[in-house]
Amino acid sequence: MAELFDSSSVENPFEELAVVYVLYFDESQGHMPLLIYPVEKYKNDKAFMRPIKYHPIWFLSLDESDALDHIDLEFKGYTFFGKKFLTKSNRKKRRAGLKEETPETIVIIVSLPNNIELFGDELIRILTQEVRDKYEDKLFEIIDSEILKEEVIKSPKIKKRIEKGESIKKNLRDSIDKTTNTFFSDVIKNSDTTSIRMQKAIAYLAFKGIDVAHIDSKGYEGSFSNIQLFDPRKKGEVSFVDKKPFIILKINIIEDSQELEILVQNNSLHAIKGMIVRINHLKEYFEKEVMIESIDFWDAQEELVFISPIIPHIDQYILFIIDEVTNEKLLSKRIDLKLLKKT
Amino acid sequence: MADEIIKEEEIIIRNYRTSDYQATLKILKELQSKYDIGFNESKWRETSGLRQFKPNLKRITLIAELKTTGQVVSMGMLEAVKNNLGQYIGYLNNWATEKEFIGKGVGKILADRAIQILKSWGCEAVRINMAYIGDKKLLDVFGKIGFVPIITVLEKKFETD
Repeated sequence: MAELFDSSSVENPFEELAVVYVLYFDESQGHMPLLIYPVEKYKNDKAFMRPIKYHPIWFLSLDESDALDHIDLEFKGYTFFGKKFLTKSNRKKRRAGLKEETPETIVIIVSLPNNIELFGDELIRILTQEVRDKYEDKLFEIIDSEILKEEVIKSPKIKKRIEKGESIKKNLRDSIDKTTNTFFSDVIKNSDTTSIRMQKAIAYLAFKGIDVAHIDSKGYEGSFSNIQLFDPRKKGEVSFVDKKPFIILKINIIEDSQELEILVQNNSLHAIKGMIVRINHLKEYFEKEVMIESIDFWDAQEELVFISPIIPHIDQYILFIIDEVTNEKLLSKRIDLKLLKKT
Repeated sequence: MADEIIKEEEIIIRNYRTSDYQATLKILKELQSKYDIGFNESKWRETSGLRQFKPNLKRITLIAELKTTGQVVSMGMLEAVKNNLGQYIGYLNNWATEKEFIGKGVGKILADRAIQILKSWGCEAVRINMAYIGDKKLLDVFGKIGFVPIITVLEKKFETD
């Protein structure tokens, strides 16, 4: 994946950090990209678009998507955070039974290198908010313009609609650019933590050219940031509260017994009660339950091992952690055995 | 501390953590050298003692830690297995105590706690696998809390290439 990002054309350091995809569901063509930030040129590159095309966000209902902060796919060193929502439409649809006012299904996917995936939760939240707040009633006009571009004969009226869509798209791109740049500039100034994960992420940002000169390991009086370099003496006093309540630490295939071993940690600082852990296998677009476990009590920071049988000829599995009471999905993770075997 | 009985409030019974790996490895190696329990060091990984969940099986490794020093003094694995008749049977396996703490009651505290856990998991009975040429004293210890010998398990080890 990394080789697909053309680093020679990078104009600012943020471009290598995040790629933002705004997509929609086209009634006649399926999953279609509307905008890719920072560069559009890989829009038709099948290899580049593969993780987008098969992202689990497409296969989950809106209800399921709403229950989660985001739905993630890990692919070749990158994590793709996905969020789905409906927006207003006045576009004439190309499938019978759909009305002009039938809402558009919009998907936003943000990909980040795994080294800084802990920022994904906040970044996709901010970006989704920005797009919904400012473009909720305008996105259908970009879709309209993208469809009209394919017309062979373009009447003045059509040209006008294309221009309108292009202008909105330009504004959308500028908003994403501004939001992303502000996010990465702010995150490095505002993150105060002794978490090793955060330190690694900051080191990665520094490596990619983000200014960390203000960080002072001895103290930060006079610095405009409250961030400090890692101090091992502060072990156990982690103030950063990672937004993900659960994290997957390791996924192994046990070859002897043909089982899938998944190590999950309660990433919060308190014990969690009443969780359901479900592993389903995916065949084509259908899910079937492989195992379900009820976890009455999950201690803070405790790591649990879930062992699921591997079904012959099935390579796709999905793990859910669900709150027993609210039915809220707190973690979902798609697992591809073929990818696991390669790494 | 020689010959003193350790009180319940002096130890912490908790789940295994990955940081217990070295301490448990040491205990298991001692157990292996004494009773040949079939322990294979290469198969005991950092994550092996964590709570495990798989269809029809729950497994947990309990650790007894000395409150004052944090030393791991005893360990034991318990699992609940669903048999062909649909009943959950609890098993206590690989129970071992650091040499200098044997005979101080730590194992009993750990076993009591394990039985509570297995009951809460819905097990109908608890079984302990012990070395055939076991310690008579150990049989007496478990006998006092209601365990009676019911089966003898025969094992044939396969030659590995």
